[in-house]
Amino acid sequence: MAGTFRRVADVFGRIPRWVYIVAALVLAIVFPMLEQAGLMQTLWLRLGTRTLVYVLLAVGLNLVLGETGLLHLGYVAFFAVGAYSTAILSSPRLGIHWNFWVIIVIATVLAMLFGFVIGMPTLRLRGDYLAIVTLAFGEITRMTFNNWESVTNGPGGIPGIFPPNLFGWVVDKPAEFFYLLLASVVLVVWLLNNLKKSRVGRAWNALREDEIASHHSGVRPTQVKMLAVVLSSGIAGLAGAIFAYYQQFINPTYFLFMQSTIVVCMVVLGGMGSIPGAIVGAVVLDATPEIIRQAFTQWLPDALGSDFLPGVQTALQTDFDRYRMLIFGLVIVLMVIFRPEGLLPDQLWRREVHDEDPRDQEHTRQHLFDFEEGEKDLEV
Amino acid sequence: MSFEHVFSLTVSGVTVGMIYALIALGYTMVYGVLQLINFAHGEVFTVGGYIAASTLIWIGVDASTPLWVKLGYFALALVVSVVVTATLGWLIERVAYRPLRGRSRIIPLLSAIGVSIFLQNLLIVIFGPEPIIMPTAIVPAGFVNVFGARVRILQIIVIAVSLLLMALLTWIVKGTRIGKAMRATSQDREAAEMMGIETNRTISFTFVIGSALAAIGGFIVAMYYGSLQFDTGFLYGLKAFTAAVLGGIGNIPGAVVGSLILGLAENWGVGLTLGLLAWLFVVGLALGLYIQMVHAPRRRIDHIADEFRTPEYEGRLKAVYRLAPVVAVKTLLSERTDALVHVSARHAVQLMAGNLVLFAFAVVFFMNGDVQFSSKWQHVISFAVLMAILMFRPSGILGENIQEKV
Repeated sequence: MAGTFRRVADVFGRIPRWVYIVAALVLAIVFPMLEQAGLMQTLWLRLGTRTLVYVLLAVGLNLVLGETGLLHLGYVAFFAVGAYSTAILSSPRLGIHWNFWVIIVIATVLAMLFGFVIGMPTLRLRGDYLAIVTLAFGEITRMTFNNWESVTNGPGGIPGIFPPNLFGWVVDKPAEFFYLLLASVVLVVWLLNNLKKSRVGRAWNALREDEIASHHSGVRPTQVKMLAVVLSSGIAGLAGAIFAYYQQFINPTYFLFMQSTIVVCMVVLGGMGSIPGAIVGAVVLDATPEIIRQAFTQWLPDALGSDFLPGVQTALQTDFDRYRMLIFGLVIVLMVIFRPEGLLPDQLWRREVHDEDPRDQEHTRQHLFDFEEGEKDLEV
Repeated sequence: MSFEHVFSLTVSGVTVGMIYALIALGYTMVYGVLQLINFAHGEVFTVGGYIAASTLIWIGVDASTPLWVKLGYFALALVVSVVVTATLGWLIERVAYRPLRGRSRIIPLLSAIGVSIFLQNLLIVIFGPEPIIMPTAIVPAGFVNVFGARVRILQIIVIAVSLLLMALLTWIVKGTRIGKAMRATSQDREAAEMMGIETNRTISFTFVIGSALAAIGGFIVAMYYGSLQFDTGFLYGLKAFTAAVLGGIGNIPGAVVGSLILGLAENWGVGLTLGLLAWLFVVGLALGLYIQMVHAPRRRIDHIADEFRTPEYEGRLKAVYRLAPVVAVKTLLSERTDALVHVSARHAVQLMAGNLVLFAFAVVFFMNGDVQFSSKWQHVISFAVLMAILMFRPSGILGENIQEKV
């Protein structure tokens, strides 16, 4: 069984990477057209848009959690900062209606600023402190938005956010938001992928693997970690801004601690430090529960008669969220125990968690033998 | 703003502080032996409260039950909850942390957060999202008058029980064999193992003790506030962790001191007018100025080797601290010639910034003397305390008690 799995994985592993990227992009571009053509309910398009928001968050969190190895548990707070700055600056609440581009920049920069403030006292210390401070910050941000009624309208939230206007193109349909989000995802992924391969990216990975050794090789830990935290906060702020525009209404319950843990779970499931992993993790964890719910409450009863497993149907309709989170918690524990490298692992991280010698791996050995000179020296 | 008001705020601050301490001890002990933040500890606390409350609901206590029977039920609920919770703590360590020992630091933290989510949602699945209500008959009602202030009998019981438990814990850690093993394990696990200490058993024992304390904390909170919700432990865990950091993580007396400070800060912060709170900042400012003017230069001078300790050099260091805005800033901006003076200048500027912040707070608070914080900002206070402590003294008030191995 495991052997078959490995062989199948091998076949898929031989397909070049650009094929996957093109396939994913084509799929994503065609997806909203299905709704336009009437082949799909709008429900699914809305789910897809939400998934893209999660993809953006997961890719951003991956920068801190996966690349740099810092546990960040209040990621949704930066998302909230972005969403609220958008809602305040572009809604009838205070009667302000600023330009989309200005707001996007403000939301991103403000979130970055908060990331900097959080990082300043904690990044000098051991990594665990960042976890607890971000956890506390996440809660405090939500409480502040909840209590600061003169600006945020408290638990009532801010309704009626104006649709964004991109040089005359008013974005207000789910499909248009889907494309807007897709563009941001592509932009962010492209940026992060380049960063990952750059000097800074190698510094992040070095810090994750051995802080002391990398410090002695000339990496400045605090500054480099700060860069990761600030950048990923900015991505969350951007995601928050677009989310607020899309939702047209936000209130503090969108920014519960649970949301942060869902994003952590996506990154862990997909594979820490791997950008495709983060994307796949977000898609799997956001879409699968919804598909299961639809399957048991709609498709299977439709196909097999409405008395199909009525207990399961009611359970899924009423207690769905609890079971979902229960399973997410279990997924995190099981993943870190049995497959810490995630579904689509990053090579470096896989070696780190399994203590593998890179020379033992077949493709590395092949690669080493490609050098014609010194073949004998490299024999291990 | 009468004396009675301040006194009753103080009593409730100490009570809440004692509850935090019961949870913080679990965090700090686990951190001591494993250098791991046990994120699931807050949930263990909630489980303890839920088990105790549901045992009492299941037995069915009402007002007509005679007192000694009530006491018996109370003891039964306590025992059931402590046993179940201690088993849970043991199980968590066994299943979620032990297989991950020796992995990179972030992995057990992730596992801990997974366990925490799992337990919280397990509570919702079993008991539902509504809060569980403690039978009121079991909770000692009644008040006593202390210095003219009405104090709940329950508060006195809570403080007494917590003190008793802490004394017991001190005895276990300082006076028994297993306590000695715990201290050895937290100092150096490998060396302890070589000395014949079963570190695995010791670590399990630490989890059991910590969870039992948390269970009692959960029971107390359920009685004190009358109900408990599935996410109560999240906030309590966060605050108890703040308290543990405040006192110095890994440090057992530190956890108690930090918890008391945090409990008092929360209750005074929202119960007193800003005019009275300003005096706390004045005290803090006096302490800060003492550190800047007397304590810090003296410690710096102590570090100088005898043959270099000339009066001029001492005078230069003292001037850096005492005339921070002038000399220290000038030193920082000038060329780096003397490492000690340079480091001292940076330290002096940091201290001065802290003192200025305290001064600014004091002035602002005095100017709005009769305003009062709304109680909804209570949780923000502990966050501010956490940030401040990490900014200025990350090792906590009493210092950390762990040896960082390289």
